[in-house]
Amino acid sequence: MVESVLPAVDSPSDHELMIAVRAGEIDKLGDLFERHHRPLYGFFVRHTGDRTASEDLVQLVFYRILKYRHTYRDEGRFSAWIYHLARKVAADHFRRNSTAPHATDPDDLHTVPDEAPDAADRAVRTDDTERLQAALAALDPDQRELLVLARFQHLKHEEIARLFELSVGAVKVRAHRALKELRDIYFKLSREPAA
Amino acid sequence: MNCQRVQESFLDYQDGALSPADASAVREHLKTCLGCQREWAGLQEISLKLDRLPPVAPSPRLRAQFYAMLETHRRAADSRSPFVAMRSRLDRFFSALLPARPALQFALACGLLAAGLLFGARYLRPTLDPATEKRIAELQNKVDSMAPLVTYSVLQQKSTTERLRIVLATLNLKQNDQQVVSGLLASLAFDPSVNVRLSALEALYPRADQPAVRSAVTASLPREPSPLVQVTMIDFLAATRDPAAFATIEGISRNQNYDQAVREAARRALAQL
Repeated sequence: MVESVLPAVDSPSDHELMIAVRAGEIDKLGDLFERHHRPLYGFFVRHTGDRTASEDLVQLVFYRILKYRHTYRDEGRFSAWIYHLARKVAADHFRRNSTAPHATDPDDLHTVPDEAPDAADRAVRTDDTERLQAALAALDPDQRELLVLARFQHLKHEEIARLFELSVGAVKVRAHRALKELRDIYFKLSREPAA
Repeated sequence: MNCQRVQESFLDYQDGALSPADASAVREHLKTCLGCQREWAGLQEISLKLDRLPPVAPSPRLRAQFYAMLETHRRAADSRSPFVAMRSRLDRFFSALLPARPALQFALACGLLAAGLLFGARYLRPTLDPATEKRIAELQNKVDSMAPLVTYSVLQQKSTTERLRIVLATLNLKQNDQQVVSGLLASLAFDPSVNVRLSALEALYPRADQPAVRSAVTASLPREPSPLVQVTMIDFLAATRDPAAFATIEGISRNQNYDQAVREAARRALAQL
């Protein structure tokens, strides 16, 4: 199932809302929050593996939007800007904790709503999900960040290239390597006997 | 296509971003290459699993916290002083008025500077009140009247030969420059060298028609220590036939303190006058 998706191309109204916020209409930030907080939350959960901290990090991103609204440029793209802030917030989070992201707490994952009707299928998928989360957590943080932006946030390679200040070709190569790495870790975990 | 290129194209192939020719090449390669088939299947599987990860949703706490923060911020904004509000309005006004790009801002600043300089040069010349102008005119006159003295002082810094050369050089000057005349008269009155004084007198001959020159030579005559120069001065005044010199020359002709030759020259001159 594809989680809530950030529009690949900014709708003009995102930009207009942000211009209004910049001009002092801070209530308009509520509209931007409603549109973007879920994808942002997804980004932080996949990246940090910490659901509680991710809520605080989303809050921090919107706080920084408010604080630095004057720096939003007229020609700016809102999605690029929000992920630019989100990456900085995530980097600060990792620096503060100065450790690799926590592996996701399995109890957390069991509370994730799952619409699968069949109980047996559900059990298999929960196992899979845990393994995949563990594989993501074991990935190099830079690779994980790039993979999350490309696979979950559906940012185009060109947008990621701008964010990471890399060429589009370099982003594709890294995305491919990250996916391969994830696959190797995942299959390695699958072969290990269940504890 | 070799295996490495095919595998590097997998992401674009998966996204449908390859050209039809490249996509067809990848498909053909996959039909025959077992290694790439395995690689492709693995990528497909992990991609599918990623896509099937259940969505994560934040708790209601996030929304509550966000709107609490927004409310706090709004209250802070509402309670701002009128001064701050006005300043914010002014900031908005100027930011709307001025260009946002730094290059344009720089160009505008340069333009304003140039316009300011032009305006200042054209309309803001300094004006002086009459009292100051009068004072400046007086100072100008003083400076002008000091010029001969300054010229002479400068001359005194040089050797006798150089002073002589400068005085002789004025012989060739055709124009009746007031500064040249003043310099020559100063040399005649003050120069310690007899030769220089004689040369100065010679140079003054062409200017003897000027009453000022004649009266200056007449005034210098009683102070002149050298009989040779005294005789030349008397000859000069006799040649000009200036009646104003008569009394001075007559005094010399009777004064026994003067050299015999000088008194004789004076008597000859009186006959001429």
